[in-house]
Amino acid sequence: MSAVWRASRAAVRRRKLQTTIIGVVVLLSTATITIALALLAAAAAPFDDAFSQQSGAHVVATFDSSKVSDVRLAQTAHRQGVRAAAGPFGEAVVVVPDGTPGIAAGPLTVVGRSGSDSPVDHLNLWAGRWPTGPGEIVLNSRPSGRGASFPPEFMVPLPGGSKLRVVGFASSVSQSAGAWVTPDQLAGLHPQSVQMLYRFADPGTDQSISAGLATATAGLPSDALTGSQSYLALKKAVAGQTDAYVPFLMTFGVLGLVVAVLIVANVVSGAVVSGFRHIGVLKALGFTPNQVAAVYVLMISVPAVVGCLIGIVLGNVLARPLLFGVFQGLGVESVSVSLWVDVVALLGMPAVVALAALGPAMRAHRLSAAEAISAGGAPRVGRALGVQRRLGATRLPRSVSLGLGLPFARPARTVLTMAAIVLGVAAVALASGLTSTMTAYGNAEELNGAYQVEVTVGGHRPDRPAPTLSDTDTQALLRSLGAVRVTADAWQNVKFTGSTQGLNGQFLRGDSASLNYTMVKGHWLDGPGQLVVSGAFLRQRGLAVGDQVRLDLGAKEVPVTIVGQLMAYDPDGVLSNWDTLMELAPGQRASHYMVQLAPGADADAFVTAFQKASGPGLYPAKHANELNQATLTIVSFATLFTLMLAAVAALGVFNTVVLTTHERRRNLGMLKSIGMTPRQVTVMMVTSMAALGAVGGLIGLPLGVLAHRLVVPAMVRAAGIDLPASMLHVWHAPLLALLAFAGLVIAILGALIPARSAARLTIAQVLHNE
Amino acid sequence: MTSDYSSDQAIVRLDGVHKSYGDPVALNGVSLGIRAGEAVAVMGPSGCGKSTLLNMIAGLDRPTSGTVTVHGEDLGELNETGLALFRRRRIGMIFQFFNLVDDLPALDNVALAAQLTGAPTSQARKRALELLDELGVAEQRDSYPATLSGGQRQRVAVARALMNRPVLLLADEPTGALDSRSGEQVMDLLIDLNQMGQTLLMVTHDPRLARRCASRLIEFADGRVVRESTLERAA
Ligand SMILES: Nc1ncnc2c1ncn2[C@@H]1O[C@H](COP(=O)(O)OP(=O)(O)O)[C@@H](O)[C@H]1O
Ligand SMILES: [Mg+2]
Repeated sequence: MSAVWRASRAAVRRRKLQTTIIGVVVLLSTATITIALALLAAAAAPFDDAFSQQSGAHVVATFDSSKVSDVRLAQTAHRQGVRAAAGPFGEAVVVVPDGTPGIAAGPLTVVGRSGSDSPVDHLNLWAGRWPTGPGEIVLNSRPSGRGASFPPEFMVPLPGGSKLRVVGFASSVSQSAGAWVTPDQLAGLHPQSVQMLYRFADPGTDQSISAGLATATAGLPSDALTGSQSYLALKKAVAGQTDAYVPFLMTFGVLGLVVAVLIVANVVSGAVVSGFRHIGVLKALGFTPNQVAAVYVLMISVPAVVGCLIGIVLGNVLARPLLFGVFQGLGVESVSVSLWVDVVALLGMPAVVALAALGPAMRAHRLSAAEAISAGGAPRVGRALGVQRRLGATRLPRSVSLGLGLPFARPARTVLTMAAIVLGVAAVALASGLTSTMTAYGNAEELNGAYQVEVTVGGHRPDRPAPTLSDTDTQALLRSLGAVRVTADAWQNVKFTGSTQGLNGQFLRGDSASLNYTMVKGHWLDGPGQLVVSGAFLRQRGLAVGDQVRLDLGAKEVPVTIVGQLMAYDPDGVLSNWDTLMELAPGQRASHYMVQLAPGADADAFVTAFQKASGPGLYPAKHANELNQATLTIVSFATLFTLMLAAVAALGVFNTVVLTTHERRRNLGMLKSIGMTPRQVTVMMVTSMAALGAVGGLIGLPLGVLAHRLVVPAMVRAAGIDLPASMLHVWHAPLLALLAFAGLVIAILGALIPARSAARLTIAQVLHNE
Repeated sequence: MTSDYSSDQAIVRLDGVHKSYGDPVALNGVSLGIRAGEAVAVMGPSGCGKSTLLNMIAGLDRPTSGTVTVHGEDLGELNETGLALFRRRRIGMIFQFFNLVDDLPALDNVALAAQLTGAPTSQARKRALELLDELGVAEQRDSYPATLSGGQRQRVAVARALMNRPVLLLADEPTGALDSRSGEQVMDLLIDLNQMGQTLLMVTHDPRLARRCASRLIEFADGRVVRESTLERAA
């Protein structure tokens, strides 16, 4: 074995360039795959981790306390199929008035519990403490930097003038309540409902959850159960944000893997072919065929393992900002790359490389010593003959026609090199298509261009005082300063009658159609009592356009009809008209104005003028045309992956030119001796690869378009978005023409350096060494 | 060395040329001249610097010190491209091995030399065919090098070397890889060319062949000229 080891070490040292290429190719591929796997792994993790840590409730069930006694409810914990239960806990709804600092206005579901510990829905009390007596409350909030400025000076006002002081923040993965107080305090809020939290033996599907709940509540008065909330719906909402990345990452991950295998196979077989003489010498020295094969596999493994290790480190470093970008919205404190990802990459990549090396190594295994020594690495002629000859008859400059003939001398290598270019171009095309689609989507989602200035109303945070100017006066001021159109809105938490889950209501006033929300079904708000929501909203709740529901704001209820489905919107959000808000909460003022200026008007000047005239409590800002985090994340990572893949493909070309130069050095020497200039040599070598690049580009482009057609709808489905078909039609002639050149660019970039060193090759050296 | 060769009739002039590859010194102060129309043979033991001498004259390599002037051009003043153009116009070269491009037929191999200068293909092929005809290998015009005999290959190589009407034909052991009959045929060819006025510088191991076709013999040892003699041609 030590002879094998010594021989491969010597081989590695002699082939510094090829060793480096293998190392870099494996490095870049490993990094790509590590990032892809890290995201795949992380996509499932945050919710599942939190859910198992907190023993989340599979179902949060709400009962009418006048219909069923606490004793009977407590007995449901022992029903068949119920593995654990908590409750009954009293439940009341407090309506938080508009303008309460630190707490969103609207209905707040308050539950009475004696502590955060519980066999089901164990709360994460991440700041402050649990209420110890009356007058204290803990808010449900996702962990955030807010813990640092604790204790907050927040108060929850109660009807009748008393207040509850916020003494802590807790988070519930089950979203079982908006806030908690002691059971004694809850009694003072006159609860009419109680909740039970269940964990079932079989929580796999919607059906098994319904069945579990039916068994648990069997025998109770039929109208006792007023609402229930399954953890699967919560999970779907969380996963929807990250699942969107999966098809995208899978595609790039697989592309990266295939390109890496192609290049490694090409590099390794090239090393074997150009090492024929070396193999002959080894065999003549008495190495057995197995030992020769082992030398070659080892020779490849050394750079592969080193490249793999650095690639994993690079992948971990790059994955972190990506994971942060993806999971930012979940309120997860930190997401790290799962250990198994690194383990898989560490074991998998070298295995793949070794597999790619096996074929050529077996060839080295079979070769007889004499054959190997005499083969000397000369390319086989034959298939190439006719081609070179026909090319010689064309009017092309001779260096160009010679170059065009080169790929035919080594068809297998040509196919491998071209396949890498094809995939590189496909990646470039896919990334361009994704970028166009995502940008169109992002622009539509952010309502870019719909308005130029927005004004936010203070009074919701201690550091932002309430305005002195009234709603009407603000609107008038905006108009007097030159606003062409003002659309205002207010946010108000509401819920559907019979559900504990809060909904983010947005109510629009003015010409809201001008905001250009993209609709995929139904129509935009055009009258009172209407609602538009996202597709995700409908799917999670089993609703459809045309359905009637009742909006509930504690004291008031309004019947509304869902008239349209938006392309993208908060999955817990509902959009409605100002009339609806005025029925639910009469007299509420707008909290936000969206101002459309005349074309060409100076938004900065408008902001300054408004600031001067409006007095305190109103915060104007330019509405920048920005893209949201998800769009930016996908676009920047598509770009990063594409650059990596294109670099790897270019390295494949680089390697091919190095090998060709090495094998054809005598021919090169001869061509130079008859007066081929260095430039003609460069042109010849670059042309040989440019031809592959051009053809590879033409094959890769439709593949990339196809991948875009498959990946985008899959992402869209996973994200629960509804994309208008127009956003898939991004392939315009100029873009296609540009992309068709991508293969050419990859080939030329990869070929240029080795082609120039072929041009500088000293002929005397070549002739001498023969 | 006689004063004749330093005069301006000389087509090739070397002055104090040294060439070392690190430790091995290939040329150790060589000065010599070759006049137009001469046929010069270089002989000497293996490794004494004969090929290096030819490479210097062809501009395939540069001397460590000293100057090489060919047809009035100081090769030291030319860059790589300049040297390539110089070879294209002035020099024809024949080697012992590796003379032809494997994947081109004989005719295209010969035409190549003219095509590289930008000559139209039809014109290049026409002249190539004339040369193949003159050298007696016209029938092999469409054969690939691998299917030609050694002698045929070398004739094709000579044809290609002559393609651009070089002022100097350099041959490095042109018969070294041939059987004696083919070797003699190639030598006869070179003699004929020389008699038509082609200046010739060749390296050979075979004193009999040297005597037959050279008008002057330069003997080399350890990178130096050790003897020069004028020959009466045998034939
Ligand atoms: N490119 C080169 N690199 C290193 N050494 C060389 C090179 N070319 C020739 N030599 C050395 O220079 C000396 C002369 O070589 P060469 O001119 O080929 O001899 P000859 O042709 O007379 O056999 C030898 O020692 C040879 O090893
Ligand atoms: Mg020699």
